[in-house]
Amino acid sequence: MFDRSKFWRYLRYTVLTVALLAAGFTLYLDIRVRSEFEGRRFALPARIYARPLELHAGLRIAQIDVVRELQEAGYGQGPREGDPGWFANDNDWLEIAVRPFVFWDGTQPAKRVRVAFEGGAVRAVQDAEGRELPLARLEPLAIGGIYPANNEDRVLVRLSEVPKPMVQALIANEDRNFYSHHGFDLRGIARAAFSFLRLKGLQGGSTLTQQLVKNFFLTPERTLSRKVTELFMAVLLEIHYDKDEILETYLNEIYLGQDRDRAIHGVGLASLFYFGKTVEHLTLAESALLVGMVKGPAFYDPFRNPERALERRNLVLRETKDRGFVTMEEYSKARAADLGVNQKAAMGTSPHPAFLDLVHRQLRRDYDEADLRSEGLRVFTTLDPRVQSTAERVLERKLAQFDRGKIFGEPGLEGAVVITDTQSGEVQALVGGRDVRFRGFNRALDAARPVGSLLKPAIYLTALADPAHYTLVTPIDDGPFVWKSRGAPDWEPTNYDKTFHGAVPLRMALAHSYNAATARLGTDIGVEKVLATIKRLGIDREMQPYASTLLGAVDLSPLEVAQMYQTIASGGFRTPLRAIREVTTQDGRPLRRYALAVEQAFPPEPMYLITTAMQGVVREGTAQSLKNWLPPEAAVAGKTGTTTEQRDAWFAGFTGDHLGIVWIGYDDNRAARLSGAGAALPVWGEMMAALAPEPLALPKPDGIENVLIDPSSGLRADFACSDALELPFAQGSAPAERAPCASALGVAVEGVKQQAKSWMQRLFGR
Amino acid sequence: MRTLLALLAAAAAGCATVVRPPGPFPEPAPLPEPAARTENLAIAGLLDGARADAAAGRLANAAASLERALRIEPRNPRLWQELARLRLKQGDYAQAESTAARSNSWAGSDNALRAENWRLIAHAREARGDAEGARAALDAAERQR
Repeated sequence: MFDRSKFWRYLRYTVLTVALLAAGFTLYLDIRVRSEFEGRRFALPARIYARPLELHAGLRIAQIDVVRELQEAGYGQGPREGDPGWFANDNDWLEIAVRPFVFWDGTQPAKRVRVAFEGGAVRAVQDAEGRELPLARLEPLAIGGIYPANNEDRVLVRLSEVPKPMVQALIANEDRNFYSHHGFDLRGIARAAFSFLRLKGLQGGSTLTQQLVKNFFLTPERTLSRKVTELFMAVLLEIHYDKDEILETYLNEIYLGQDRDRAIHGVGLASLFYFGKTVEHLTLAESALLVGMVKGPAFYDPFRNPERALERRNLVLRETKDRGFVTMEEYSKARAADLGVNQKAAMGTSPHPAFLDLVHRQLRRDYDEADLRSEGLRVFTTLDPRVQSTAERVLERKLAQFDRGKIFGEPGLEGAVVITDTQSGEVQALVGGRDVRFRGFNRALDAARPVGSLLKPAIYLTALADPAHYTLVTPIDDGPFVWKSRGAPDWEPTNYDKTFHGAVPLRMALAHSYNAATARLGTDIGVEKVLATIKRLGIDREMQPYASTLLGAVDLSPLEVAQMYQTIASGGFRTPLRAIREVTTQDGRPLRRYALAVEQAFPPEPMYLITTAMQGVVREGTAQSLKNWLPPEAAVAGKTGTTTEQRDAWFAGFTGDHLGIVWIGYDDNRAARLSGAGAALPVWGEMMAALAPEPLALPKPDGIENVLIDPSSGLRADFACSDALELPFAQGSAPAERAPCASALGVAVEGVKQQAKSWMQRLFGR
Repeated sequence: MRTLLALLAAAAAGCATVVRPPGPFPEPAPLPEPAARTENLAIAGLLDGARADAAAGRLANAAASLERALRIEPRNPRLWQELARLRLKQGDYAQAESTAARSNSWAGSDNALRAENWRLIAHAREARGDAEGARAALDAAERQR
């Protein structure tokens, strides 16, 4: 029959078991809450910055370019009292309230800078009191990040930095009893339960603590068991942590919008993203706008739905006033304010994904991928926003223009651009394709394409390094040329214009990019020797020691080509291309510098000669059309490249300050029917013209002398020769023989010159 | 001494004008300029900062300042020389030597500067145990006078 004692025993066991299970579950949740909440640091993306603009008297930059960069950095127009991050212009003067910024070498406090411009350059830099400033470093543009999972981005803030009105508005609107409840709000739960019973699903009723738990630990599904777990965890959170800790974490966690593929989290980043200022400077109205967005950042997006956002903000303001947090006066003032948002072009994870890709790859050599995505490292790069945007704009426009004249259909032409500083090897701009915002195939780094004539300077450099045999005027035979080697078909290079030109001076063979002459020269010197030169110029890729390699049957990426030309542009000093200057921790502790390094790979004399020959390419050779963009005084040195069936169009060249490489072609290797001069050069020319480059002026090495040469005979000329050219020669290598046009008097003149020279030498001992 | 040289140079220039034949003629090289007094205040400021940092042992900061200065005036051989001197201090002898060579490439007719660069190169080679190379560099320094 019914055994009372047995029943009670079972009941006791059951109750005990349930209690134990409940205790176990609670303990489990407790451990999770504590370990995760305490152990949890927000994963912070590595933040990538462009080079800071350093203003000083004499810097060549127009006011409009400085203003553009300030706007990009979220600086607003017009003064704001006590709140940096704005600029104001008055004719030639530009006043900037520079925000504080932690640089690699320390914190630069907020400061007021006044800059005067004149004729496209900075005339003066002053502080607010009108005292001259030698140098004013502006805050660098943020150009993206390397993000954690889901591309969450945030800027952490302390609760003490958050303006009081924001906290009050948040509490008034999201969780009125926040400071008195224990993690849950009975009234809220009652409301939620009521709506659940009426089969309207689970909704609302969450305290800030519950919302935090939900975002932090749980999946977004809406089930009863999840709701219960959430409640348990919220209570546990409240037991272990005080209100301020919970509030601070909430303010940093909350999702507040989307910038393309980047998720905006926390009020710190949201302030910068929507208003271009740090959170402590937000007004009541601005704070209310952000608080209003908590409910639905997309629905109340102030950029896309300004009316809805305004209505929501005013609702938040009224609630805040009704709860007695703000006075009627403050309320009316805030209500009357406009949204105040500062719309910039959408940036996503980066506006310049190709450059960021290069930075990321260089970082990966020294850092763990996981650290890059979570430690909040700050990376200072070499990107020059003005150069980058010029390169993007010109490439996009030119490719569209070329496409219109073509009948090849989709997909259209592609292109890549690399621009570096000739002296430091810093990469100033990098474009990986015509869709410049696209994070995908990065042609500047990964498209290895035949380089064609771009290798020719290496052949001529090898020759000119041997002045006993080769000078700029040495005749080279551009007659039909056949190269026989065992086991390979005969190699018979032809010229671009399908004709042969007989004996041509070495410099003209390069200027006109004659293939037969170049092949003959290269094979005379020896392919191995030329390959050694290419290696010394900075190309690491293995190359086949075939004669055809000489004419560019070699695949290189635009970045590799840039490295090779960099060595020429910096006078024979090999400088590894760099995209990063410095890396610091999140709070500004220096981690690593990527120092400027140079290595003398060639003596100065042959470099001077090859550069002169490459200036000839522009002055009188295949790149003559560059004069449509740049004046002869720019003295650009360059080389065009066109490959078989015109599949690839290249131009590589440098001014005094910029080296640029342009590639254009089809991804699927179709014949583009565009030459280096016809397609790549116009892109290069238009870009450089927009950058107002410095002319190329080489320092003349000791071992170089200039000699007058009669171009028709290639012999020594003098004042009597009407079209004589002054050409550089390695000391003692110039032709001794006098040209027919030279005057008989010339002999005597030479004698006087020599005498005068030796007299000077005796006097000054040099 | 300097005045005397200047007078001699003026005299030489005068003579050259008299005997100058038509056609190109080698210009007399200008006298070495007095030691660095840069016009650019930005450079001067960065240089001072770099020297102070170097003296205090903050070598990386000093290098960063010098590189900032070089971005403003990449053709200033004195900045390259200062960087070479710093590389020597940092114990990076290969960079010290090539950076001094870079300074030489922009030195023009400044023989005093060149001589100093060659002395830096000699130091760097010495430190690397290349006694012969160091001697050759010192000889080169002597030849700049």
